[in-house]
Parts: sequence; structure tokens; C-alpha cells
Amino acid sequence: MAIIGQKLIKQVRTTGLKATAAQRLDDAFTRFTAGLSWNDVRGILRGDPPPKPNPRVKPHTEGFWFHIRPSFYHEAVTTLYPTFRLGFLSAVFFMFEIITGIFLMIFYTPSPTSAYQNMLDILTNVPFGKFVRDLHRLGAEAMVIVVTLHMIRTFATGSYKKPRQFTWFTGVVLLVVTLFLSFSGYLLPWDQLAFWAVTIGTSMADAVPGVGPQLNLLLRGAPDIGAGGLLRFYLFHVVLFPLIGIIFVAVHYYKVVRYGISLPPEMEAVGEDTARKVPPEKRVPFLPDILTNELMYMGVAFAFMAVSVVTWYQGAPLEHHADPLVTPNHTVAPWYFYWLQGLLKVPHIIPILPGDLARAVDKVFFDVLGLTPKVFWGVIVGPLMIGILFIVPYIDPNPSRRYGDRKIMLTLGALFAALIVYLSLAGIPTGVPITGFGYVGGDPASEVGQEFIPDEGVGPIRKLPYKEYRVGTWTISAQPNTGSAGLDKLIRDIHASMEHRKVNPDPTGRKLSPEANGTLKVEQKQENLLHVVLTINFTDDTGRATQFVKETYLHALSGY
Amino acid sequence: MGHPLHGENLLQRKGKTRMSIIKKIITFRPSFTLRILTGLIAMLVMLSVCTVVAISDQTGLNVRDTQFRARAVEAGAKVYSLQCARCHGAGGEGIEGLGPSLAAESFVGRRELEERPDGSVAYRVVAPSARMQQIGWGGTLEDYIIAVTSSGIPVRSSPVWDVNHPTFLDSLGGPLRPDQIRDVTAFIVNWSLKPLSDDQAVLPPAPGEGMAGRPTPVPLTEQQEAGKQVYLRAGCTACHAIRGVGNQGALGPSLSRIYTVATERIASEDYKQNLRDQPPAASPEEYIRQSILHPNAYIVPQCPQGPCVAGLMPQNYSQTLSPEDLDKLVDYLSTLR
Repeated sequence: MAIIGQKLIKQVRTTGLKATAAQRLDDAFTRFTAGLSWNDVRGILRGDPPPKPNPRVKPHTEGFWFHIRPSFYHEAVTTLYPTFRLGFLSAVFFMFEIITGIFLMIFYTPSPTSAYQNMLDILTNVPFGKFVRDLHRLGAEAMVIVVTLHMIRTFATGSYKKPRQFTWFTGVVLLVVTLFLSFSGYLLPWDQLAFWAVTIGTSMADAVPGVGPQLNLLLRGAPDIGAGGLLRFYLFHVVLFPLIGIIFVAVHYYKVVRYGISLPPEMEAVGEDTARKVPPEKRVPFLPDILTNELMYMGVAFAFMAVSVVTWYQGAPLEHHADPLVTPNHTVAPWYFYWLQGLLKVPHIIPILPGDLARAVDKVFFDVLGLTPKVFWGVIVGPLMIGILFIVPYIDPNPSRRYGDRKIMLTLGALFAALIVYLSLAGIPTGVPITGFGYVGGDPASEVGQEFIPDEGVGPIRKLPYKEYRVGTWTISAQPNTGSAGLDKLIRDIHASMEHRKVNPDPTGRKLSPEANGTLKVEQKQENLLHVVLTINFTDDTGRATQFVKETYLHALSGY
Repeated sequence: MGHPLHGENLLQRKGKTRMSIIKKIITFRPSFTLRILTGLIAMLVMLSVCTVVAISDQTGLNVRDTQFRARAVEAGAKVYSLQCARCHGAGGEGIEGLGPSLAAESFVGRRELEERPDGSVAYRVVAPSARMQQIGWGGTLEDYIIAVTSSGIPVRSSPVWDVNHPTFLDSLGGPLRPDQIRDVTAFIVNWSLKPLSDDQAVLPPAPGEGMAGRPTPVPLTEQQEAGKQVYLRAGCTACHAIRGVGNQGALGPSLSRIYTVATERIASEDYKQNLRDQPPAASPEEYIRQSILHPNAYIVPQCPQGPCVAGLMPQNYSQTLSPEDLDKLVDYLSTLR
């Protein structure tokens, strides 16, 4: 102490107080930036050329945060193409999800008795609660998109080729982690959407030949999803998958730095990799060019998220409380698993064979291997499609990265993407347009019910403002006269939907019987509370007169 | 600011002036100035969004609170119609002998809606629940409804009705989850906006009322004890209930006070007019015997599931019960006053 003090006093005596303070402050600043003085930083911000020796590489050798970043990039990879910053943005969204996720964790307990109430509290009692929840949800979906685009880009430019095979491999691990992260978060609100999507997902694990029931038990903690399953999915979501993600991001990024970002294919001779041999005049220094570039992209991404949430994004959904006894109609997986749901709908093991032969093949498979088409396509082929991605760099024999030399591989990639799109269309309840593959629906009357009073979600009947309703029993007709324009239109819409279904068969060939008619009963249940009952009388497939009834309650203030 | 970075000049390839639009886009690299500007604008946009959210959030919270409360009432209405309406009536008016009115003003009190300028609402209590004060419940009305729905009546205030409130909470063996009980509570409390007046509703007796006249139970004689065994053995409990004795059937009328009921009944005009094919009973014992042997002779108006139905009770007890057993049974039932 005494020695330091003496030095300080001596310095003040020789150079004066002001200069000493400035010098000491600059020292502290330099230690903080791991090697850049105030003047160095000013030079960077002004765009001065680097002095010699260049102090701007010091943070890369001295400091932790910059040592994981290269001190310069090849100029050819700093334009929009070839990277489109997708890898960087993936990491940004991962970080974004961690930040918003920690906020949400504060208000959440993973238990069936409290989880749903926690969601209501976040929406109705936590400042910024809905905002952050929507950001987290939109961020998760954006991350799936960005990570997938990153993979498509890497495939298109052939960047998975030697020496970057393992980088690609870890990238596919990260894609799977991203999907699982998103999916495991799905259960946490403990609403009907969550419960049934995850029930479907885990029942696929149940169908795995041999170990299925054990795997299912491990995932759910019980034969059905309950307290144990919720806790496990929570731990997957906040511990296991983020941990795997962080580890693989580290490995993935180490490989990226180790081999450099691959140059645009046309810039290199076939089989050559010159990403790390950057001539001095082609170097773009990390400080300040790459850093400011990344900060800009990050800022734009965050601003895009914030603006989206308060403008076009309709918000993370919250449906009714999870109910193991009530399966809502038309339950679907999250959209990035539609393709898997589509695979589950493939009717036969070899679907292109004619019906009888296809059934015979199914029987052989079932008798010999115990495989049903669902298990075969959903549990074996589905994961295999991801598995193929892992081995792409190891089975592609072509050393060239040029587009012109890779016609076969690019075509295969495009076909794969088209297949995923087709299967995704098949995964949604309406099925693929034109072919109708993947359509699921009940009888036409119940489809009318689902259209106007969906089990979950809103639908036109809940959407119609309370004030527009008139108490009474109204016949569904083309010219209703209820005294309310809104209710008249609703009844006309129901009528139109019924007439449409009388004429146009659904993809399974069913039509609403021609004499079918209906009523919409509106009764006052309480002050501010209406009971709305849609009744459709029709003749079912067997020629029996049947009545379909669907009801809902509507409160004046529920504001759907 | 504004200086081109030394690295950027190198990028512009000499001699190539015509670039396609696509090439321009994919080789686009913003200048240092543009980067800093864009980044700053993005940050400002983000900050202003956060500010807007911070300012408008309280309104948003209030509005969503109102909406979710309203949706809880909707969900509760469904639960009520499935689980509660059977005993408390579809409109909460109550059913004599089964369940008291839940819509009566003396139970739910009266509240008013106050609309706030932001579109959310607040409930203002105009009249609190008189019943809560009457029975000395310390918590809120909501607490009471949740407690009773979950675990039955915690304190029995009156012995007049023979049906015990079931436990509805799933962890106590009932059919409802805690959130459903909260929803149905919201639905019941919603009646307070327009409660039934007390003369439209079936009300429970005041605490202690009906207790005074209740005789102290006397020990059963040997004959009566044997009759109780007959009651348990002959299948009566499948449909009937005697408080504290065997299964509590809920199809036929309760027998917990059958002697008193029988006394009232033989004196009633309805009995005298609607009795068919049998001579009128002269004593309550005779009435009980008649009801066992000839169930269709007189149909009482009110059963737990609605109006009583003729032909529901087996008519062959004269063959399945020995005369001695029948005597014992009538003796036992006559102790229930």
C-alpha cells in the first residue's frame, strides 16, 4: 500500500493531478477492454486505419469474450451472401430465449395444480408478463425458422463438405435440440393445446418397438402425463436441452473458428479450402467491422421481435385448462412437427401399391416384425429422415462445392424439402389440397359445429359480440330475422356452411344429408351470461335421423 | 463518422460496374455509418416499444383480468350444469330437500359492475352475503363456496335436509379439479349481479332451526336392531338413505325421518285423494308397511332425482320378506323421527 501510495504521490507531483487522474482512468479502461486504450477505441469508432503494431488484436489474445472470436474475417464472407448471418442469428435467438425464459421462470411453478394459474397470473398480474411471454413464444418459432434456414444455406453452398463434416453434424444436433426445446416448452402452460400435443408426441415414443413403454414411462413419469410428466418436461426445457444446446454451440462454434467460414463456392478451386488462408488485403478486422455488423443485426432482430409482438403477432395462445378426460377435436402438433403428424397418417407401409396388395404387405410386416404403418412411418421413418441429415456429409462423395457440379445433390435436397412441405400439409386436419391426403374430420354436422364453436380457440360464435345476440330459438336459414344484423349474418354463415357441405363432399366422400336443418338457441343463463346451443338435425351414413348438439356459454366481458 | 472503412474499399471490384440486382443484394454490406445508424434506430425502436408496453401494460393487465374472469364464468357454467344443477336447480333456485338456492340474494349477496374507462371492470359489493354472517363464516363468500364444493359442508348448521353435500375435489375423491371448482365458484358468484329474491328461492333453515324439536336418539331394542339389519340386507340402501346407516342411495326418498314424514303424510289431502286400491293408513306404522308392500299405492311428489316415478320400487316385498322381518323393519323405521 505504502509503495503504491508513494508512486501515486510522486506521479501527481511530477505531472499534476489532472494528468495523473486521466492516465489512471485510461489504465482502468485498458484493463477493462483487455488491451485497448481510450484513444484506440476512439480510433476504431472514427474508422481510422489501425496503427502499427495493431492494438486491436489485443482483446482477442488477452480477453475471454473476444478470444472465442477470430480477429479478422475473409472479406468474401462479410457480405450478406453466403452466410446471411443465419448462424449468428441462431445464436442470438438462443440467447434471446434464455433471457426471456428466465423472466418467465420467476413466475412459474411446474405443477398441474398451479401451472395454469401461473399463466393467468403472468397475463393478468405481472407487468410485462404478456409481452415477455409473447416474445419467448415468437422467439422460439423464429429460432426454429432461422436454424432451419441456416441448415438449408449450409447445404446449398456445400459448406458441410471436408473439412467441415463434423461441424454439420453438431449443427444437426443443434437443430434437433432447437425442435425439442420448442416442443418441451409446449407442455408448460398446462392448457388443452399443451396437454394433447405432448400426449400425441410422447405416445410416439410409446410406439417405439421394444423399448417404447419404458421410454414413454421415462418421459412422462407415469403411464399418462401428469405431475411427473410436467416436471420432467420442465426440467428438459430449462436444464437438459439448454445444457446440450450450450455444449454443442460451443463445439459447433469452435469448429467454425477452427476451419473458418467457408468462402463462396465459386471463389475456390474444387477440393480446396482456403477459408483460413486470408491474404492481408482481404482481411476485414473484427474490430470494429464485424462487431458493429453483428450488433446491428442483433439490434434489428430484437427490434423486429418487439415490434412484431405489439403489432401483427396475435400472442402466445392459452386455451382451457388441461383436461385428460376431454380430447379437443382437431388436435395438432406444433407446426414444425406437422410433417411428422403427416407421416403418421400414411395408411399403408407401401402406400403406392393397390389397396388389397398394400393391405397384404401391411399384414406381412405386422405378422413378422410387429410393425403397423403408424409405427413404421412415424416412429422409424420420421426419425430416419432426421438421421439422414446427420450423415449427409459422410455419404456425399462429390468433392466439389460448386452449384453446377452438384446438380444431383441439390435436386435431392429440393425434393427432401418438397417432401417435408407435402407431409406438413398432410399433417394439418384439412389435409393436402386437391389430393385430400391427411384429411381428418368427423361427420359433416360435427364439422359445422367445429367450424363455428371449435372445442379450443375462438370461432365465429364466440367472436360475435355479446350485444349482437338476441334471446330465442332461431332457425338456421338464408333469411333469418332476429333483429340483430350480427346474429343474422352468423346464422346466414352457418346456413351457407351447411348448404356447402350438402353439395360438396369432404375428402372422405361424406356429405351433409340434403334435408338437414338446424337451430341456434340463445338463452339468458345469468345476468351477462348467455347459453348458445347449436343443434343440427340430419340423416347419418346409416340412414338414421340424428341430432348433433354443441353448446357454449358466452359472457359479456370475455372479449374473445 | 462517415469514414469508409479501409476494408470496404478493397471489396469494390474494379472494372465491374454492372451488377444484377440480386448480386447487389447478396453482396450488400452496409457502411460503418449505416450500421451504427441502423443499430441505434433499432435500439430506439425497441426502447420505444418497451415504453409503450410499460405505459399501457396496466390497462392490458386489467382488461385481460376482466376477460379471464369472464371466461372462468363460462367454464364454470358448464361445470355447474353437469355437477350442481341436479340438486341446486338449473337456475340456482334450489330444490326442496336436496339443495338450497345458490342464486338467492341472501346467499350470494348483491354486487354491481363498475366499468372503468380502460374497458376493464370492477365488482362493487352492494349487499354482502347474509348467509355468511348468519352461519359465522369468517372468510369470503368465494372461500366458502370453494370449501364446501371441495370437501362438503364442514359444519352442519341444520339437520333438516338429509342429503349430505358431496366432496367434489378430485383429491378428496370427487370429480372436479381445483381449477374447475374455482370456475364454478366464479359462476355462482356471478349470480350476485342479479340474484333471486328470497321468496323465489329455496332457502336453508337458519342455523339451529329445526334442531330444537329433534328428539334425542334412544337406543334400539333388540327387535328394532334386527330391523336395521333387515334394512341393510334387503337392498333398501340401493335407493334410500338413512343418515349414518349404510349406503346413501339417492333414487328414492330419504328415510332419515320417515316416521315424522309418515305422520305428516297420512294427514295430508294429497294422500287421501291420490291413494289408489288401498285403504288409507290409520297410523304412521301402517303407512310405512303399506309403502313397502304396495309401493304404487301412493306416489310422493318429490324424489332426489325429480318427481318420484311409479313402478320404480320393487313390488314383491310381500314375497321376499318374511312377515317377521317385515315387522322388525317397520319397527326399526318407526324409530326414525
